[in-house]
Amino acid sequence: MVTVRRFRPEDLNKLAKCNLDPFTETYELGFYLQYYAKWPSLFQVAEDQHGNIIGYIMGKLESSPDVYRFSPHYLPWHAHITAVTVAPEARRMGIGRLLTEQLEAAADAADAWFVDLFVRTTNHKAIAFYKSMGYSVYRVVKDYYGDHSADPSRSSEDAYDMRKPMKRDVKREHIREDGEKHEVDPSVVCLAANTFRLAIDICEYTLIDMWLDVIYGTLDITDLLHLTCTEQHFL
Amino acid sequence: MSMGYRYGRPALKASVDVQLQTAFEDGNWNTVIRLAARRAATLKDPYYEAIKICAEAQLDGSADRSAVLTAVDELVKNKKVPDIDILELYEWACRDFIDYDIEYADTFGPLRVRWVKANPKSPIALQSLQACVERWDLVSAQQIATTLDKTYANTSDRRFMFWNITLTFLLSCSDTSRKVYSLLAAKQLERAADLTENSPKLESTDRGLVTEEEVCLYYRVLLRQGAKAEFISRLQSPKLGALSQLKQGHKLLFCEALDALEKWGEWELIFTLCRDALKLGLDGETTLFFVCDLRIWRLFATAASKVADSESAVKEVKEILDKFLEAKPQAIPLYRKNISLAVLETTFRLPAINQNQADSSLSPRVEQLGLFLDQYFDKLAAFDDVKGYVSELSFEEMQGFLDVLPGILDEVRIAHRLSSRDMTDQRKNTSKARLMALKALECRLRYLLTTCPQTLTSQSEGSSQCLMCSNQASLPCEHCLRKIVVEASAAYNEINSDKEILEHIPTLDKDPRLDLAFAIAMSLLKLSGLRPRTSDPTSSSLWQDVNPGLFLQAVLLLDSQLKFTPNNVELRLLLVQLYLLLGCASYAYQLWNPLGVKRTIQDALSPLFFDRISSLSPGLFQGSVPPTEKLRSFYNQSLRDNSPVRIWDAFLAGSYTSILDMSEYDSRLRRSCTLMMTVVEERRARRCYGARQECEIEAHPLLDKITHDTVLVDKTDYGPFPNLESPHGPPIHEYLRLGPGLSNERSHLAFLAEQYMDLLSYKPPKDFKANRPNEVAVRDREYTLDTLDDLSASLTDFINAPNTYSFLTPAERTYYTIISLLSSALFTALSSPRSEPVSKSLSSTTASIKKAFNSLRTTLSPTPNSPASLPALTPLTNLHTLAFLRESALAIKHTSLFATSFHDKEISRDRTGRSGLHRDALSEMRVLGETATKALVELKGHVQKLKEMLAEGGWLDRVLNLCFEKGGDVEKAVEGVVGGREEAEEWVGRVVESWREGVKGWGMVRWE
Repeated sequence: MVTVRRFRPEDLNKLAKCNLDPFTETYELGFYLQYYAKWPSLFQVAEDQHGNIIGYIMGKLESSPDVYRFSPHYLPWHAHITAVTVAPEARRMGIGRLLTEQLEAAADAADAWFVDLFVRTTNHKAIAFYKSMGYSVYRVVKDYYGDHSADPSRSSEDAYDMRKPMKRDVKREHIREDGEKHEVDPSVVCLAANTFRLAIDICEYTLIDMWLDVIYGTLDITDLLHLTCTEQHFL
Repeated sequence: MSMGYRYGRPALKASVDVQLQTAFEDGNWNTVIRLAARRAATLKDPYYEAIKICAEAQLDGSADRSAVLTAVDELVKNKKVPDIDILELYEWACRDFIDYDIEYADTFGPLRVRWVKANPKSPIALQSLQACVERWDLVSAQQIATTLDKTYANTSDRRFMFWNITLTFLLSCSDTSRKVYSLLAAKQLERAADLTENSPKLESTDRGLVTEEEVCLYYRVLLRQGAKAEFISRLQSPKLGALSQLKQGHKLLFCEALDALEKWGEWELIFTLCRDALKLGLDGETTLFFVCDLRIWRLFATAASKVADSESAVKEVKEILDKFLEAKPQAIPLYRKNISLAVLETTFRLPAINQNQADSSLSPRVEQLGLFLDQYFDKLAAFDDVKGYVSELSFEEMQGFLDVLPGILDEVRIAHRLSSRDMTDQRKNTSKARLMALKALECRLRYLLTTCPQTLTSQSEGSSQCLMCSNQASLPCEHCLRKIVVEASAAYNEINSDKEILEHIPTLDKDPRLDLAFAIAMSLLKLSGLRPRTSDPTSSSLWQDVNPGLFLQAVLLLDSQLKFTPNNVELRLLLVQLYLLLGCASYAYQLWNPLGVKRTIQDALSPLFFDRISSLSPGLFQGSVPPTEKLRSFYNQSLRDNSPVRIWDAFLAGSYTSILDMSEYDSRLRRSCTLMMTVVEERRARRCYGARQECEIEAHPLLDKITHDTVLVDKTDYGPFPNLESPHGPPIHEYLRLGPGLSNERSHLAFLAEQYMDLLSYKPPKDFKANRPNEVAVRDREYTLDTLDDLSASLTDFINAPNTYSFLTPAERTYYTIISLLSSALFTALSSPRSEPVSKSLSSTTASIKKAFNSLRTTLSPTPNSPASLPALTPLTNLHTLAFLRESALAIKHTSLFATSFHDKEISRDRTGRSGLHRDALSEMRVLGETATKALVELKGHVQKLKEMLAEGGWLDRVLNLCFEKGGDVEKAVEGVVGGREEAEEWVGRVVESWREGVKGWGMVRWE
């Protein structure tokens, strides 16, 4: 039996059922707490009768920095699904859907234009799931992932940037019907989506160090992006 | 901060010339000092003097460094408002001294408060608040927040008000002497709450409660204050009440309120709240299933049974539940299952709810269990869902339940037969696979029943009979367990021999072989006699009570299952524990690593492998990077700052409950038993190889706030274990552990023992030469005696606490007793004047030490139950005792050396001979030292002998014979599952190799 509620830090001691699953990434403490500090209502968990966390979703609300306001890749105020995962024993019960709906409700409450997420183009189950929930492909981010889930000989994989419009987007201005035809470079997502800040949060780099590493070639921009990959293991 | 930072250094004021700016940015400190001194002389601007002092602090000389400390001290003392630019420069220059040479709360914090009070409207005031929060100087932060709140009282930025309240409240939580602050926070929030309740609409400048976070902060403060009446009254108020918040889509208050009410036993209100909340969904005021959670249904049912008018309450529960049952088809599977479980819950908690049901030969509880399993038997969580309920059944109901199970089987069989005619091959085979899933569940449930005391009945003369099989038995019934092994093995083999089922296993939630393997292995472990390890000294060896053949069969069977389900976490964790018990730490480590326990989850999960690991396999710590490195790195990163990680983010976002929770989590993490375990295990391993400790444990940066009064917290997560046991007995992980889990008591004892070892091994720096050696010697002696007195008192307190022994293994119990006695003996020896007779307590203490030490030595000898064919098995599974025997011997030897070297030093310093040790005390200490030295030689020989035994041939046959020699039903069943002796050979090879590796590590341990 499941209880769905807001995350609290003590839950970090009960993540084993989700995070020991090989497809679920475990982050540094600061990463979880950053989400809990900034967007507590977008961090929801599903708990079983023994207090184990059997699913969770982490999301954030953000927009591109003002400096990109006139860029075609500018992202207005929106919610982003950073990670959603469900323990193997709790899959196929609709927990992923429920958690996503809760995040969408929080996004609506925060007057977001849309909710977006990144998913591997080969993750057909997840794509179908999101489509069934009203998400559609907005664009294809080339070489977003630094590895390939199906082909170990390949060093990268594309991502779909999928979106679902929220109540605020009455005219459906922030979605596309032919998103699969719009390909962008990962740096576009990075610059426009304020991803650097998140990457810094993960890596504990300083902003200047990050820039220098990218400029001097010691850090690949795609490597930087991989740190921010959305996780989706709930089907 | 007011200044920017470049490359980690503050940017100087824009008015500073380029030459000095460049030198500062480049870290060219000598140039900075020269240029700044020149500018200071020319411009008479103290800012340049500050730059010079900061630059000097970057140099290596201690005199250069102290200038900045002196400058800060002067700023604090002169009571003037400091220049903020200078203050920030100094703060940067002192970044490495804070917490060591100076306290932020005594220096920069108050200076910032002084500055903010003089400049409350400056944007830097907010940065000063951030600086104090990030240094966790709550006193200064609260003062700044109060100033800011007053300054911005009538603006629409309401954060200042809530920062002030939150910090005032945090201050009261961090220091119990500041309770009045809690009252102050509560008063402010109460005013805000009244304003909210009494205003038709709040304006943006009103100081009321608006957001969910603000409302919940109010309730948290009330809760902390114990203001129960106010809490309950407000909870039912029209605007700030729990239901009103629910209608706005805010669930947090409702959940937290139920927690509080449950603690207070306010069942009437719990009942009303749950009822009304569920009705909100039915009436469309919230989404239908908004509060349709496990916790709500459980509380609702429990409350209905406890309220005054229980009869009406039960009726209401039934009415609401019926409405949800009507809505069930439109719910997602999660809520469909929650409603099904709610029916089960109410059936078990509220017997009256089923009064009017049609007569049935089955009890309503069994009937509902059957209905539930009908729907969910093939789901992965099915066993866990019903386990608790099945354990509550009476024996008659259990019998009925066992009759129901084949009924479900029949239905599946019918479906299968139908499928033979009407269905495609694929569906037919899926149905066969589901049939096996049900069989696996049945085996697990049968095992569960063997752990329930209802299955036994007392007979005359104290014996008891198993009601399931009518045999004489005690819990668990061996006959039933054997039956489970045989039947589950048959089912396992049936799956393995049916290609069609094997092909369709991936379509199921879980491989049924895994469930069968768990049922077989648990039965074998119970049959082997495995019980939770306790501090009973007679059960130090695993084989004292455990049949090695059956134990090995269980390990072998689970290991062979790993081939089919290598990614199953439950299986891996089970095997890790079993291999640790078996003395195969290196192999257990191989199984542990792929689990990917890293970063944040380490605090909760690492004890499952690392607790006591240095005592099992010091060899794992050989090499440049210890296996605990990731764990240490996690703590270093998470506890680097005094403030909770990311706390300022929560302030900025107005997440007030997050601030409180993060602060509490941080406080707990700093007191984590796992943290203490990490440091202690590394230190013990270092001592094994004679390596230097990085610092004294008391000075360890991760433990420097731990005192003897600190309550250390164990948060080990046993959730991922496959627990087939009923709640009537201990959970499975207690059977599998080497000894009791982490605890405050054990952690403190380890901490104290390490402090004692630090005291014994302390050596002054080589270049240290005292100016007044006699004075220093007297002070040293005083310090040593004070430390010994403290240690002895604390060790005695912990050892004599009522339950301490239940937290220790027998070896640990003896070791800590010896350390406690040694500290007392050394104190007596050092404090006894030579001119007077030594206190008799010394000889009795040393006698107790020898007695305890010798008793530990005897536990290393082979036990009567040691398998004759494999005598080496006992010492291989008793390495933990060997380790603590060695630690005890070292402590005794070092104590003796400390005493004699102390005496020698005193004699050479003070020729009168008056300050040396008393002859009798010295003699006692020497005797102790000789005993320890002799024991260490013995132990070295013990390891050498073990190594030689493992080098002998014939291990393969001996282990296999141990597994299968009896040839009974059980052995044959297991042999069938693992694929015969030939298949088991490879496994034996791995086990023996791991033993050899472990003993090789022990071979490198220093015994001097």
